[in-house]
Amino acid sequence: MPVVRRRAGPRAVPKGYSWALRYGSGLRTPLAESMVTGDPMPREALLARTFVELADTLVADFDVVEVLTLLTDRCVEVLEVDAAGIMLVAPDGDLKVMASSSETMRFLELFELQSQEGPCLDCYRTAAPVVNQNLATVNGRWPRFSVEALAAGFHSAHALPMRLRGTVIGALNLFNVGAGEMPRDDIEVAQALADAATIAILQHRAALEAQTVNEQLDHALNSRVVIEQAKGMVAERQGLNMDEAFTRLRSYARSHNLRLAEVANDVIFGGLVASDLDPPPPRGES
Amino acid sequence: MNGQRRIRILSRLVGDTAPGGETERLCQVSAEVTGMSGAGIMLMSDDVLRGSVCTTNEVSALIEELQYGLGEGPCVDAYHLDRPVLEPDLAHARLPRWPAFSPPALEAGVGAIFGFPLRVGAVRLGALNLYRVRSGSLADEAHADALVMADIAAQALLVMQAGAPLGSLGAELEAAGEFHYGVHQASGMVAVQLEVGVGQALIRLRAYAFGHDRPLAQVAEDVVARRLRFDDRSGEKDPVP
Repeated sequence: MPVVRRRAGPRAVPKGYSWALRYGSGLRTPLAESMVTGDPMPREALLARTFVELADTLVADFDVVEVLTLLTDRCVEVLEVDAAGIMLVAPDGDLKVMASSSETMRFLELFELQSQEGPCLDCYRTAAPVVNQNLATVNGRWPRFSVEALAAGFHSAHALPMRLRGTVIGALNLFNVGAGEMPRDDIEVAQALADAATIAILQHRAALEAQTVNEQLDHALNSRVVIEQAKGMVAERQGLNMDEAFTRLRSYARSHNLRLAEVANDVIFGGLVASDLDPPPPRGES
Repeated sequence: MNGQRRIRILSRLVGDTAPGGETERLCQVSAEVTGMSGAGIMLMSDDVLRGSVCTTNEVSALIEELQYGLGEGPCVDAYHLDRPVLEPDLAHARLPRWPAFSPPALEAGVGAIFGFPLRVGAVRLGALNLYRVRSGSLADEAHADALVMADIAAQALLVMQAGAPLGSLGAELEAAGEFHYGVHQASGMVAVQLEVGVGQALIRLRAYAFGHDRPLAQVAEDVVARRLRFDDRSGEKDPVP
């Protein structure tokens, strides 16, 4: 059984887990679970598990948005970073947001901006890491991006290329609230995670019968649009913000062993109504 | 490199060089940018009108007629499979397909034929069909051009459905190229408000933006921020022209 599909049932947001509300959409990740159960999962164990999950995508049919969201969540859990996101390149050459550890509008806009300027774009163009950028002192380099990122509360940013041999498909972007430098080890780990995800994505081409990398990325980006449309429907029906709507979609997909894009499609075409995604009442509350 | 493929195609589409109507130009540019002998656009969704949007010549017209009549062919497959369907050598196809479509298409002089889905997220509009007299695969560059062209064509169809002129597309499509999450989120919200499909909601959003002379992304932002509703008849007038 594919590891990535083994999923826990719905669970209430643990108390005192506020960063998850702010930044994380993956509330039922192993780390979150171990925090709830009081059974800590060491960083090495979580990393090992993450690589197995990424490797599993090599054999199973998977959802690119789901895998990349998993990757961004794990970056936040195992590295000294506060938020993470991934941009992939579209056939027209523009970088587009594919996944992030936070789905708040403000955070997503930080990425959208990077189709014009920012560490992601520089990293993609040069196919080289852009790390330890103190946003308060790089104003000249990315005038708009720096201002927006600082306003969102981030003081340093890093971007690592997603590349396999000659092919660069995008970049992994990491943000820190503090301005300190990221440990060398963390950068290595982040690059390894990005590399594993890149292999998974490029390998997935065969399963999609895609003829070119461009075609595959085009497909992945379109599935992201499907998810945005479904988020809008769920948000409107249930009076939620977009971050909450995304969490509903993702939780439902996880607890029902479905691909995120499938759930989004079902919401759009009426196979699922928004209230189907409502979380069950919290268990064990007295 | 940044978005230049899109800008290059857009400038040909909205430039004043090519004669003819807007839909004709859409097909002409599709064939030109990909270096094909001809192009056609077929609508196949239930969300919008079904039928041919444009063809560049008799052969592309025949390609569309055959597919509508027979229910098989590269565009039909591209639409249903939701991915490009490429047949670089119709006379010696590796896959046994389109038994009814292929003979008359070959007779009309089709060497290679390619179908690209026209879609915006879950909204499937139809397919772009490209053919070439000479057989042979689509080069990577032409393939990337065709993908971007299909995306632009899908947006253009929605713009035209919204009653906006193709000539006004430049800024609009360039903005769409920035992948505003908000537009897609707003179309989901408006679909619920109006109890219509997401495709219709996108058209209504565009019609509103055009009618009020405002950027689409800005209108979408108002919807997402819940400052603007499309089912609110008391304040704002019904946005549909």
